[in-house]
Amino acid sequence: MNIVLIFLITIFSVSLFFYGKSKTKTISIKDNIKLNALPKFYGYYLVLWCSIPALVFLLVWSLFEPVIIKSIIIETAANQGAILSDKNEANLIYEKIKAIHLGTYFGDIDSILRESAIAYAKFINLFTNSKVVLIFGIIIASVIYSLKKIKNNNKARDDVEVILKGLLFVSSLIAILTTLGIIFSLLFESIKFFSVINIFDYLFGTNWSPQRAFVRDASSITAAEFEELKDAFGFIPLIAGTSFIAFIAMLVAVPIGLFSGIYMAEYASVKVRRISKPIIEILAGIPTVVYGFFAALTVGPFFRQVVENLGLTVSSESALAAGLIMGIMIIPYVSSLSDDVINSVPQSLRDGSYAVGATKSETIKQVVIPAALPGIIGSVLLAISRAIGETMIVVMAAGLAANLTINPLESTTTITTQIVMILVGDQEFDSPKTQSAFALGLTLFIATLILNYIAQRAVKKYREKYD
Amino acid sequence: MSNVKIKSKNLNVYYGDKQALFDVNLDLNEKEVTALIGPSGCGKSTFIRCINRMNDVIDICKVTGNIEMDGMNINDKDLDVVSLRERVGMVFQKPNPFPKSIYDNISYGPKIHGKGETKSELDQIVENSLKKSALWEEVKDRLDEPGTSLSGGQQQRLCIARAISVNPEVILMDEPCSALDPIATAKIEELIDELKKTYTIVIVTHSMAQAVRVSQKTGFFHLGKLIEVGKTEKIFKNPDNKMTQDYITGRFG
Repeated sequence: MNIVLIFLITIFSVSLFFYGKSKTKTISIKDNIKLNALPKFYGYYLVLWCSIPALVFLLVWSLFEPVIIKSIIIETAANQGAILSDKNEANLIYEKIKAIHLGTYFGDIDSILRESAIAYAKFINLFTNSKVVLIFGIIIASVIYSLKKIKNNNKARDDVEVILKGLLFVSSLIAILTTLGIIFSLLFESIKFFSVINIFDYLFGTNWSPQRAFVRDASSITAAEFEELKDAFGFIPLIAGTSFIAFIAMLVAVPIGLFSGIYMAEYASVKVRRISKPIIEILAGIPTVVYGFFAALTVGPFFRQVVENLGLTVSSESALAAGLIMGIMIIPYVSSLSDDVINSVPQSLRDGSYAVGATKSETIKQVVIPAALPGIIGSVLLAISRAIGETMIVVMAAGLAANLTINPLESTTTITTQIVMILVGDQEFDSPKTQSAFALGLTLFIATLILNYIAQRAVKKYREKYD
Repeated sequence: MSNVKIKSKNLNVYYGDKQALFDVNLDLNEKEVTALIGPSGCGKSTFIRCINRMNDVIDICKVTGNIEMDGMNINDKDLDVVSLRERVGMVFQKPNPFPKSIYDNISYGPKIHGKGETKSELDQIVENSLKKSALWEEVKDRLDEPGTSLSGGQQQRLCIARAISVNPEVILMDEPCSALDPIATAKIEELIDELKKTYTIVIVTHSMAQAVRVSQKTGFFHLGKLIEVGKTEKIFKNPDNKMTQDYITGRFG
């Protein structure tokens, strides 16, 4: 039904566009009036007035209709004598009624359910009909209003600008509200988690084994269970593993990325640059899961073989393999950003250096790189926050055990991997185990936020210097 | 009459398909200031960039003909550009100090050429260069500060100090005062007067007054051709060529 309505609104708007455009044109010619805007603006004006109020109404209606119907139905069911001791039971009954209405319910149907299902069908019908009537009413009202405005030769150009500005504002508002919503949901769940687990035990604990948190109800925890829980959520092994893998990744990505950035910016001819830059950037477009199985199936076993030949023991999932592949994934970030900042070092500095007799590599090393350094640092920091947030490669190649180790050949784990582990499968949302995912998410969010902030400050400082 | 330091014979420069200089024959005298004047895009800068081979930096640039310094062919493919630029310094239109300290800006050149092996030698070079460029008194207490923190005129004198730090024989100046105010310009002109005792100087300028004030010899370029060259006095008082006459009296340019 909604789709049909949207389709009708669209068709109606489009035809109004042409109507408004030609109508104003003919009026202006016939009555020899100077229009306040181009005819097409009157078309846009009609389109916006015809579509936006109706669509907004449709959206709001669709959001509230199920909620209202549900409360009405549950009330009628209760009036007929259904036993609704708590919220879950009410939900269950409502789902049953809905299923009966759709014909997908195969249990026993008693009289209460049957009556309620009939009532449900009645309400659905009523709501749908009134929705259609109201929408057409709104369209007609707003079209009449806007047509009248057009007849009076309103300043359609300005009005369209105002409406468009409003639309853009609403879009950015949605983006901001979503971000805030995510942050608050992280925050509230984390607060629940920290009401069970002491924040210091979390931040400084060296043992991570959330599966021990089998306690169902946090309020009925016994002292012994609490002791058990206390050292199950130590954050240290995770942050250590995360930083370790990110460090290995940086060891790969920074030199290779920086050097290829320097080559692209300083040495490569226009032709080479035009071909090779997009190729490097393809690296950034490969899905991380592909890198992941490349790391797990090719690089990991390869390292194991090589190192075993040296007489050392290795697990096939290792921090080294994951870090290495992650580094390769990050190369394009470093190279294309540092290419950009090196390019924006003014040519006059290079000329100054050449003029005292410096060679190209001396100039790059002693003048260009120092001048571009803040920007390069910014690009590296952005790459680090990318490495810290990376999940798939680590899940597949570095293992899941939270070892506190600095041996790159052992398996280790990261914050993101643990979040995946915690949230895969069936969940109890009141268990500290599940809530710990939110705490991890919050910690990760704060860490990358700080890194990004520093990175952007560095890049900005650099920009100010030469603009 | 002083010795000829740099001699160009039938010098042609091309940027891709476009020819920028046509058969330029110009002699520059030792320890003299030669001014090059002419409307924008006439090839003055292109000419001086031939003297220290700065045109090498531009991929599509091609230089033919002959240009010699003390009988050495500058255009020789096998010439060591690094040692050429040690002998021929350059100052640019816009002050371009490196984003380093004042001290490092000046010690940069000597270090590259392996001069000043000990700290005290290097200190001496820095001090001498700054004194020669008349900047020492203003910056001697803040050599650690970034070169970019100086004023425009000071920055340009810093760039001159950087150019003379490697003890060149020739200094090329590409409109060194075009980004400066009149007071800073006066200081630089004074400095040029002083420097010509030691160095051969070529200055590109858009200001006739400046050419008259600082130079002994003037060349007038137009559309890539050297129209007229001679003693500055003669060029500005009594030029042979009608076009030169028109340019210096401001009829075009």
